[in-house]
Amino acid sequence: MNLFAKKYKIYLLSIFVLALSGCKDQLDTMPTDAVTDTEIYKNTSNIQTVINGTWRYLNDTYFTFANPGYSAFMRTSDAMANDVAVTTKYGYRDPYAFTELFDRSTNRVNAFWTLLYKVIDNTNNVIAKTEQAEGTREEKDLLIGQAKTLRAFAYLNFASYYQFSYLKDKNALTVPIYTEPSTTATQGKPKASLEEIYALITSDLTDAITKLEGYNRPSAQKYRVDAHVANGLLARAYLNMGQWELAATAAANAAEGFPLMNAEAYYAGFNDAQNPEWIWGHLQTTDQSTASYTFHYLDVSSSGSFYFSFMADPFFKDHFAPQDVRTALFEWDGLPGREGFLRYKKFKFKQNLIGDIVYMRSSEMWLIQAEGYARAGQQVEAVNALNTLREARNATPYIAQEGDLVEAILLERRKELWGEGFGLSDIIRNQKSVVRKSFLDDEGSPIKVTITTPAGEQKQVNGQGHRVVRFPDGNAFEANSRYYIFAIPLVEQQQNPNL
Amino acid sequence: MQRKLTTISFIFSLLLALAVLPAHRVAAQQRVVEGVITESLTGQPIAGVSVRVVGQQFGVSSQEDGRYRIEVKQADARLEFSYVGYGTVQRPATAGRLDVALEAASRDLGEVVVVAYGTSRRENITGSVGTINGKQLENRQISNLSKGLEGQVPGLQAVAASGQPGTDATVRIRGIGSINASSNPLYVVDGNPYAGDINAINPNDIESISVLKDAASSALYGSRGANGVIIVTTKKGRASDRAAINLNVTKGISNRAIQDYKQLSTDDYFQLYWEALRNKNLSNGLAADVAARNASAAVVTDLGINPYGSNFPEPVGLDGRLVSGAKALWDDSWTDVLQRTGQRLQADLSISGGGEKHSYFISGGYLDDQGIAIGSGFKRYNVRANIDTKAREWLNAGFNVAASSTLQQFPQSEDSNTANIINFTRLTPGFYPYYEREADGSYRLDAAGNRIWDFGEYRPSAAIPRSNLAASLPLDKNDIQRENASVRTYLEAVFSDNLKFRSTYSVDYINRNDHFYVNPSVGRGVEYLGSVNKSNVRTVGQTWNNILTYDKQFGLHHLNVLGGQEFYSFQTTNMSGSRQRFVLPGLDEPVAASQLNSFTGLSQDYRLLSFLGRAEYGYDNRYLLSGSIRTDGSSRFAAGTRWGTFWSLGAAWKISNESFLQDQSWLDQLTWRASYGGQGNDNLGVYYAYQGLYSILNSLGEGGTVTNRLATPDLKWETNLNFNTGVDVAILKNRIALSVEYFNRQSKDLLFTMPMALSTGYTGYDANIGTMRNTGIDVDIRTIPVRNENFRWNLDLNFSHFKNRITELPTANNIIRGNKMLRLGGSIYDFYLPTWAGVNPEDGSPLWYKADADGMQTEETTSVYGDAGRFIQGSSLPTLVGGITNNITYKNFDLNALLSFSLGGQILDNDYIQLLSNGNNPGRAWSEEMLNRWTPENRDTDVPRLTTDNLNWTSASTRFLYDGSFARLKNLSVGYTFPEAMMTRIGISRLRVFIQGENLFTLYKHKGMDPEQTLEGATYFRYPAIKTFSGGVQIAL
Repeated sequence: MNLFAKKYKIYLLSIFVLALSGCKDQLDTMPTDAVTDTEIYKNTSNIQTVINGTWRYLNDTYFTFANPGYSAFMRTSDAMANDVAVTTKYGYRDPYAFTELFDRSTNRVNAFWTLLYKVIDNTNNVIAKTEQAEGTREEKDLLIGQAKTLRAFAYLNFASYYQFSYLKDKNALTVPIYTEPSTTATQGKPKASLEEIYALITSDLTDAITKLEGYNRPSAQKYRVDAHVANGLLARAYLNMGQWELAATAAANAAEGFPLMNAEAYYAGFNDAQNPEWIWGHLQTTDQSTASYTFHYLDVSSSGSFYFSFMADPFFKDHFAPQDVRTALFEWDGLPGREGFLRYKKFKFKQNLIGDIVYMRSSEMWLIQAEGYARAGQQVEAVNALNTLREARNATPYIAQEGDLVEAILLERRKELWGEGFGLSDIIRNQKSVVRKSFLDDEGSPIKVTITTPAGEQKQVNGQGHRVVRFPDGNAFEANSRYYIFAIPLVEQQQNPNL
Repeated sequence: MQRKLTTISFIFSLLLALAVLPAHRVAAQQRVVEGVITESLTGQPIAGVSVRVVGQQFGVSSQEDGRYRIEVKQADARLEFSYVGYGTVQRPATAGRLDVALEAASRDLGEVVVVAYGTSRRENITGSVGTINGKQLENRQISNLSKGLEGQVPGLQAVAASGQPGTDATVRIRGIGSINASSNPLYVVDGNPYAGDINAINPNDIESISVLKDAASSALYGSRGANGVIIVTTKKGRASDRAAINLNVTKGISNRAIQDYKQLSTDDYFQLYWEALRNKNLSNGLAADVAARNASAAVVTDLGINPYGSNFPEPVGLDGRLVSGAKALWDDSWTDVLQRTGQRLQADLSISGGGEKHSYFISGGYLDDQGIAIGSGFKRYNVRANIDTKAREWLNAGFNVAASSTLQQFPQSEDSNTANIINFTRLTPGFYPYYEREADGSYRLDAAGNRIWDFGEYRPSAAIPRSNLAASLPLDKNDIQRENASVRTYLEAVFSDNLKFRSTYSVDYINRNDHFYVNPSVGRGVEYLGSVNKSNVRTVGQTWNNILTYDKQFGLHHLNVLGGQEFYSFQTTNMSGSRQRFVLPGLDEPVAASQLNSFTGLSQDYRLLSFLGRAEYGYDNRYLLSGSIRTDGSSRFAAGTRWGTFWSLGAAWKISNESFLQDQSWLDQLTWRASYGGQGNDNLGVYYAYQGLYSILNSLGEGGTVTNRLATPDLKWETNLNFNTGVDVAILKNRIALSVEYFNRQSKDLLFTMPMALSTGYTGYDANIGTMRNTGIDVDIRTIPVRNENFRWNLDLNFSHFKNRITELPTANNIIRGNKMLRLGGSIYDFYLPTWAGVNPEDGSPLWYKADADGMQTEETTSVYGDAGRFIQGSSLPTLVGGITNNITYKNFDLNALLSFSLGGQILDNDYIQLLSNGNNPGRAWSEEMLNRWTPENRDTDVPRLTTDNLNWTSASTRFLYDGSFARLKNLSVGYTFPEAMMTRIGISRLRVFIQGENLFTLYKHKGMDPEQTLEGATYFRYPAIKTFSGGVQIAL
């Protein structure tokens, strides 16, 4: 075609040449919402992001609305114990009925396992890779100290809920231990014994306490781990292990600088980490509020609460003296659809439907001291510790006539730590049985209670208490029951032949 | 790699050299051919027949009276006459008058089919290509193109799991190609890969759709062709004296295609819940009389309402029956206020025409499809202009531009979220009123005398308290707005009759803006004073390709060679934010809300550089050979594994053109085809598939990261090795045409999540291990049982069957994925579930079978779900899918019907189990099936005893696995075309009126569940399929 001049051919040729040479370098792209591992482990300030991210993962990861991060662990522990009469609302009615946690196929069983082992792998990475990174000795100590404390925290949860008491059988196989970062070559590990797990927990925490010694945590950052937190966890571990004096000492160290709160603070809703008693907690903001969802179960009095299912067992109220600061938190519910339930208005949302999550308070540490001393035979120190707390709550101080001191301390734990996640772990640890009684009179009829309706009328209705007073198999509650122990998820059993 | 590039550059240089060769020219000798085209039986003129010189792009089309006129230059030229539904005819282009009669054909061998980077005649294709022409879509009431594909092409499975107007169907071609990577086909629109929204294309603008199913047809798309390719070609103008103006208007109504699950009456509900309470009291150790008494006292407390009024404070007596005289004072079906008869209106206008040197097609459309749930719907405005011009004798240029704006109103209608409008009616029994009621059943009225919406503060959590979507949804916003612009432009240089160079650039742009607003005045937003969530996603896909084509006939030899290069760049960037606490009601933008909840955004880039070539050789119109090769470099992989090469070989033997069959007049076609080749798949779902990554997870104002994926530097392409062979037969003057194809698709280097023990902190890592095979047959039968002057009946049947088998796994162990298990010899969607063993006749507990140490099912049963064994329970994949199409014209009447069917395959109905709690979920609606629960008197049943503890009986098991077979009348339309003579008097060239129905009836087994569910066989609380009934008019001026 003669129309086709040579110059056009040249143009076309150049198009080709341009196209060929121009594009090849375009094939390297980088993500904008993720960072490569090599970049992170270059220096200590980058590594701190792993600690921060892990903490958020642990606390603010939704598995379901009833499993908004770690707080679900604490809720489950109380739902499976004596003093919370969980209602039929969505969320924790299945653990309450013991039909969920021993079933290896359920969502919650999966969620708990995933949460803790993800924390373990992230902290393993920090522990293994910090020394080689750029940064000062202090920065590295701080990172390793935090990572070891968080790792110990994860293993302590496994040790507390996935096997019976250490004091029952410390050789009992529980869950696998991982201390190295996982790679594609990592094989599933076999179950380790409680003894091995506690050895790791105590060594991690002891080391962490040394490394965190010089760290002065800003008071607004109670979500960070410091030596107090590590001591508090160590106290819990020793208590489980029956190392009574060590537990008491560690607890005393943990509580140092965290005075017991006054009555006004007690009524503030347990939603603010600035409470002087809080040693450790997770903060919530309007843009980081997944964990706050737990208040929809705990909070039984705010209008914004959706499930308000953590009602108190009416018999629980009988353990409180009238002048006790905490007694004022009880109230019979008079709203339509929930008449006759007993509120224990300890937890309340903040105004924006958020609330900080309490992990550790000095009250618990006083109680650990009391229990540690009592069980170690140091009666005077024990009573002192117990009464320090009782006085702060305006409760009747302990005197010998009250009965067994250890039992008194354990009851005080139930009263003081209600709803904070110690219900089931105390039952397992002390090899006790769950104790629940339906709210019925001697004839078996519901006990009437007086409520006030929103219109202000007084009305007699049936009081609502425990609905589940036996195991699902119809047998009476007993100590060391398989229903108390959290299952290893089916998926783990399927993928880990070494288990 | 460098060498590969050099080789390819060399090939291009060669092709370019061809361009520079002096072309052999024939002196032009202009002449005019004209005549009339008629229907062979009726003698009626046919309008719109395409007339062109063989080998040339531009042609003319016949006018309303069947006349045509075309100028021809080449001496030895032939003219080709083609029209949808008729056999193509070729005649020598001798000067003067040439009248042609066309004969209806079940399949048109001369049909020009759009294939990869070009077109081909149907009879010359060595691969497997299915087609849908525009006429097949014209009569449909589909708001979305992907929903129009079902039942039309064998081997193509389109599954519309959601009936929400504006949602896509899932499309799979010849089985499931991948396990973890995408199995979606590639869409190509007007020659270039399409990165736009498939919803944005108006089905009325479509000229044809080609479905490329095998290697020979799709390997030229290399790494993106592994799951098949769907090529959409939009309409072009036809040369004519007068522009054609077409107007279509359809108006209709829509309803649920099938009825929902049947629920218990209020009376039965209260009695059954009493029974659950009583049974629980007994198992708590209470005496029988006390258990009954306490149950009677607790029914109303637990359910939060007493529909029997204050005269019956305990409506269920100690015997578990309603006390005498108790009668429910209301029964409010929530569907009354949450669902409706939807309206649907569609109007399209197109103007098209052209001359010998240009053609144009301009269209505009409007669609308003309301949907059956309140607050849901889909609106679309779209325009298109397709313009082609012959700028110089040697230069063609074209420009297709399409723009659309859509608004999808999408209240939550999937997921178990309590705001799910579809689920709400299913979960909330009628004894919870939607308007507030007094204790005597009368409506409570406000000061102005109006009824008051009941938000159900008192309802138990299972009946969605504090919510009344009928009241809140009209005040909320659930808007998804998309602006879609799609431009295709090309320059084509015709170096000679044999050699063409074409450079095409396209850009597909989507701007999507979501606006979700929860009002602060009523409903769930009251507590937090409302919230607003806005997000914007901008997606830009650009393709630039340069293709050189050489086509020449040397005596009996025909050669077609194509070579080229393509660069694809895709970028998506998004941001979203949410705020809550509105300062004043009536405002719904973020600026008016006082509290910031979140703000985030990210970008992703994907690029692909490719070099491609194809050669086709034909001998004597009897033997055809084809081969293609393509090399792709993808940014998804590490530099070392980035490049992959894909290829195909194909052959066809036109047996009917052999001399020994030439005399068989009954035989119109007999062709054997075969092809083999490898295509790739890089769509792994992630854009950065090799790095060890930590997700960014900031915490409390400080930078945060957390492990996300392990480094996998060796990760590479998935490859699909695809074998296809088939036979095409046409007999009795094309009245019966049959195609049978067998395929064997072997996917290898499959992207697998190599499972890791969860305790390692990972669920697994990505690896290319494992192979999977899809084998099957596609059958396409087209017939014309009746063909005479007044009556014509086309009956087409297509069906396909495939078997999906995993042939290699990464580990010695089988891989469990939720409810499915991957194992050697099994399919990708084999259910792996406990086997339901019925209900224990002794105590009413649910039972499942246990497994022995080897995992085999034993006779032993357990009532603890977690202790049950899990076993293979069949697949969700159907054994046979297909469609039957009838087209009947009688005089001026026409009838079109499409029945699509799917046989076999199982569905796990998770929607239904919501209605089957054993009493542990008070307030949740109950299915009628609960009446059959175990009691000491009714021991032989498969519904367990009632109690308020969770028996976990609704956990996934074979109990809830249902047969997914169905047949659905996708389309039925009846039309009448007014006699031409009558119309021309009023200046209309064609007028057709019609009535039409989509999904008019469905044959299926498990009542309540829409049988069109996902390929995985799982329900997900989705918007049900809708039935549309419409009437409309088509006018041509």
